[in-house]
Amino acid sequence: MALLEVRDLKTHFRTDDGIVKAVDGVSFSIEKGKTLGIVGESGSGKSVTCLTIMGLNPKRNTISSGEAIFNGQNLLTMSSSDLREIRGNDIAMIFQDPMTSLNPVHRIGHQLVEAIQLHRDVSKKQARARALELLKAVGIPRAERRIDDYPHQFSGGMRQRVMIAMALVNDPDLLIADEPTTALDVTTQAQILKLMTTLQREFDSAIIMITHDLGVIAEIADDVVVMYAARVAEQGNVDALFTRPQHPYTWGLLGSLPRLDTDVDRLVQIQGQPPSLLNPPRGCRFHPRCPYVMGICKTEEPHLMPVDGDRTHTQACHLDQTTKDREAEKLLAGTMAEAS
Amino acid sequence: MAAPATDVAPQETAYAAEHDGSDLLVVENLKKHFPVTRGIIFQKQIAAVKAVDGVSFSVRQGETLGVVGESGCGKSTMARCIMRLLDATDGRIVFDGRDITRLSRVEMRPFRREMMMIFQDPYASLNPRKRVGFIVAEALEVHKLGTEAEIKRRVQELLDVVGLNPEHYNRFPHEFSGGQRQRIGVARALAVNPKLIVCDEPVSALDVSVQAQILNLLKDLQSSFGLTYIFIAHDLNVVRHISDRVMVMYLGHAVEIAPKSRLYAEPKHPYTGALLSAVPVPDPEAARTKKKIVLEGDVPSPINPPSGCWFHPRCPRFREGHCDVETPPLYSFSDGQFAACHYPLERWPLTEEELRHPSSGRAS
Repeated sequence: MALLEVRDLKTHFRTDDGIVKAVDGVSFSIEKGKTLGIVGESGSGKSVTCLTIMGLNPKRNTISSGEAIFNGQNLLTMSSSDLREIRGNDIAMIFQDPMTSLNPVHRIGHQLVEAIQLHRDVSKKQARARALELLKAVGIPRAERRIDDYPHQFSGGMRQRVMIAMALVNDPDLLIADEPTTALDVTTQAQILKLMTTLQREFDSAIIMITHDLGVIAEIADDVVVMYAARVAEQGNVDALFTRPQHPYTWGLLGSLPRLDTDVDRLVQIQGQPPSLLNPPRGCRFHPRCPYVMGICKTEEPHLMPVDGDRTHTQACHLDQTTKDREAEKLLAGTMAEAS
Repeated sequence: MAAPATDVAPQETAYAAEHDGSDLLVVENLKKHFPVTRGIIFQKQIAAVKAVDGVSFSVRQGETLGVVGESGCGKSTMARCIMRLLDATDGRIVFDGRDITRLSRVEMRPFRREMMMIFQDPYASLNPRKRVGFIVAEALEVHKLGTEAEIKRRVQELLDVVGLNPEHYNRFPHEFSGGQRQRIGVARALAVNPKLIVCDEPVSALDVSVQAQILNLLKDLQSSFGLTYIFIAHDLNVVRHISDRVMVMYLGHAVEIAPKSRLYAEPKHPYTGALLSAVPVPDPEAARTKKKIVLEGDVPSPINPPSGCWFHPRCPRFREGHCDVETPPLYSFSDGQFAACHYPLERWPLTEEELRHPSSGRAS
């Protein structure tokens, strides 16, 4: 059984301009010990999906529906006190910007101890010992001394390590990481990704990794969900998605990426801008930007369909299979042929 | 295979030798130190942040020089010194054959037209209270390039060139998306027909699909107007895509400069190697097999940089008694590749064992 199963999740926000459908029918599941990557542009709904699962959206103005079954319980219908028990204990979250997610006026030791004592009935001394142990586990040098430092005394990478330590205090089953390395330099990013995979192996936790970087996805994800304008465009195993991408949006994402291993003269660019979620386009939401657009795309919304009967790889596009395979091959050949 | 060893050249002469008159910009031993002071009324300098500490390079007419490095390595400070937005502490900046390092504001004015800058954050670099037409036209007005009608025509032409609707010149920046704003920044930089454009992380704040649009635009503009770029970024993929030559900076120093084909295929400096191996490649198969050099620790403080080689505290090839004592000069390799390392990488990629145990050094 899956650790977390999300079915037809919808999150709509009431605003002065109308209803913003930030997440509009998203389904996925994740097993224990696995990593699920969610990719998409800013505003595609990837962060809101996770905030909804965690119950962190403002109560006013938010309308959510669907199911998020975690260990047999539906997180969306749970009372706030029950949810508080789960949050930080069974499910933990790491945010993008480590400076704004740590309290600047408290020592990091204090913040870690607080997180432990909220969920465990332990003495302050025991909690502090646990905090110290975690700081060492995430690779903070001279942890005995740094535990009494303030967040501003840490560098960006170190702060992100503290955030990871805080997320891990109660051995969560599921770790949701929202762009955890976006604000970091490549060398630091490599350190953090390595740390996350090591810890995952150790604690056997599941990770949901939200990112816009397909490189990071290729590196750590087992399964991938590609989101576009509040919906899932394509979803599948990481190998399937990179070797046989099926959706024109996925092609666009792959083609627009300058990469180290290939030389291209011009990047594939996705024309235009992501649509407004107040008033998304009719039919396929990608059609105004899609180079393969057909008549049917403008009127009929495509549903997620298995690729060649493979239920683990699904895509939502009206193009026929032959065209897709040909185009996917062309894209991959383009990047391979010019690799030298 | 290791490149055949050539003579050790001090930084300046290495570049002088390359210098053949086609260089638009020559930077020699550029230094920028910011004082750290104590006291409120009587400020006493107690230390200096050595943000840029002796960088030399040249940029040829029509080429793109990429500059990469982690945050805090001095790449933006260097750009600001070149633009004369900051005054260099030491060194020489020669633009188009003229030393501009110590020119006064008035003397500098004609050169301001020749070099423009594109900034990282398209939200912060456009004045929210000014209309787009004004933002783009400002430089034209300052330099008195044409009548009002001519300037308006020129602005509309520029907006068209960068792919915006010329009718939108009356709009405010907030009415545009991030990618469109960056296009406005590009139009502004182009307005006075500059020779050199310094791009400081122009695509870092943008989504990948929009990033591709801007990168393509910059390339197109370069070929139509013969522009020269200094392109600063921390993303090695982006730098590789757009650059002809690449300079890697670490702690205020240039540790490696090479044509991009050399730098990416055969890096010489261990830091360059570490950067390259740290870049996530969007290929799950390659990601599983790739050997990574994961550097330990953080970049040291530029107030109190390490002795000898600046990279030695984090370097896997560190040799005690040599690297921490003797500062490596920029050694010259074949094909215009320079690297400041006593034990340059013999080949690429390396195994863990080869990385830790260099076969032989450039030892003295």
